[in-house]
Amino acid sequence: MKTIIHDLGKEQNGRLLASADRVVCADGRYAPCQGCFKCWTKHPAACEMKDALHQACRVLGTSDDLVIITENTYGGYSAPVKNLLDRSIGSSTPFSTYRKGQMHHTLRYGKRNCLRVIAYGEISEAERKTMELMVERNAVNMGFREHSITFCANAEEAGGMA
Amino acid sequence: MEKTVLINCSPKKRLSVSGFLMRCAGLMLRGEKEYFHLRTPADRKPILQGLKNAGKVVFVVPLYVDSVPSHVLPFLREMETFCRENGLRLKVYVIANNGFIEGRQNEPLMQVMENFCSRSRLEWRGGIGIGGGVMLNVERIMISVFFGLMVLNVFLRGIQGENILEPVRSFGISLLELLLLACGIIAYMIRLAVHMNKGTDAGKRYTRIMLPSFIFILFADAFFIIISVLQGGIFRGWFSRFKPDAGCSIIATKD
Repeated sequence: MKTIIHDLGKEQNGRLLASADRVVCADGRYAPCQGCFKCWTKHPAACEMKDALHQACRVLGTSDDLVIITENTYGGYSAPVKNLLDRSIGSSTPFSTYRKGQMHHTLRYGKRNCLRVIAYGEISEAERKTMELMVERNAVNMGFREHSITFCANAEEAGGMA
Repeated sequence: MEKTVLINCSPKKRLSVSGFLMRCAGLMLRGEKEYFHLRTPADRKPILQGLKNAGKVVFVVPLYVDSVPSHVLPFLREMETFCRENGLRLKVYVIANNGFIEGRQNEPLMQVMENFCSRSRLEWRGGIGIGGGVMLNVERIMISVFFGLMVLNVFLRGIQGENILEPVRSFGISLLELLLLACGIIAYMIRLAVHMNKGTDAGKRYTRIMLPSFIFILFADAFFIIISVLQGGIFRGWFSRFKPDAGCSIIATKD
């Protein structure tokens, strides 16, 4: 199952569906994660908040290939995309293990194929390096075997890269 | 002396480690201090107003998915514009903490904050990244419980005419043991406070709770088992690979 998460606007969903099984538009109209861990401890793999992101972790977890299209924000994801990722930690379990020599949570959905990030917008050299590091860390955290990052000048170009 | 603005960036209402670390940092800072909690969009404006006559700002940030929590990003964007428009040249320090044992896992967050400073023309002054920060919560609860037990013990022994120094000694030893676990954090917090008071560059330093990682993992697992039993999650498919419901509204599909 290939999923695209993007912050390009809902009108891009149709175009992006040509290259994926599922498309999720992160429009930022969601509450941020409250750090309660109830997606681990009370109702596994479901957020305490019953809005549109209630089952976001299940969407991410069941994606063998995940493509994230995001505007660069200080070398990280845009707020709407980050919101969705923060609300998806239920795709792991509360138990901990070692991956790449460091502590991480065990994976509810097991290892997956590839995390691909397409970042658009003006970006400095330092921000590039931060983003590369962050995507590498995300891939380990989320259990992706491979990862890659592509930088694009603008949203239009980024949408065409998926 | 310059005013220092301290911002707790945890979305948690209560018992946040970031809030605790913010208060600890505040205790060691000289001069005027103003404390804020950034949780909702309504919190942003008062913080920006507080920055107007400040010289330093200390962000205390929990690590969420390898970076800053999402609710902090719109604030950083607003602060960037605000600082540029008002020509603010604040010195920025960051105290990051995460639930994993390795302090170095905070590195991407620290870089994001440094990049934010570059874009906002603010002066990045470094900070510390703490691993196993959640143990500080456990420690402060344990210290409170041990202190309460000591007071009770002293009272009861006093009534019976027994030696009241024994429970005090016992509490002292427990306190030292708990402080020893946090000795790296305490040392780096003091070092950071010295730099903050001088306004100098603290660089980036990483520290952690002084426990071997496999023991920390056992503690963390035990903690989540207990909470999951109490909240019932352990009986609701704790490790199940749930699929999204058919009506999951965020998904657009070809069908």
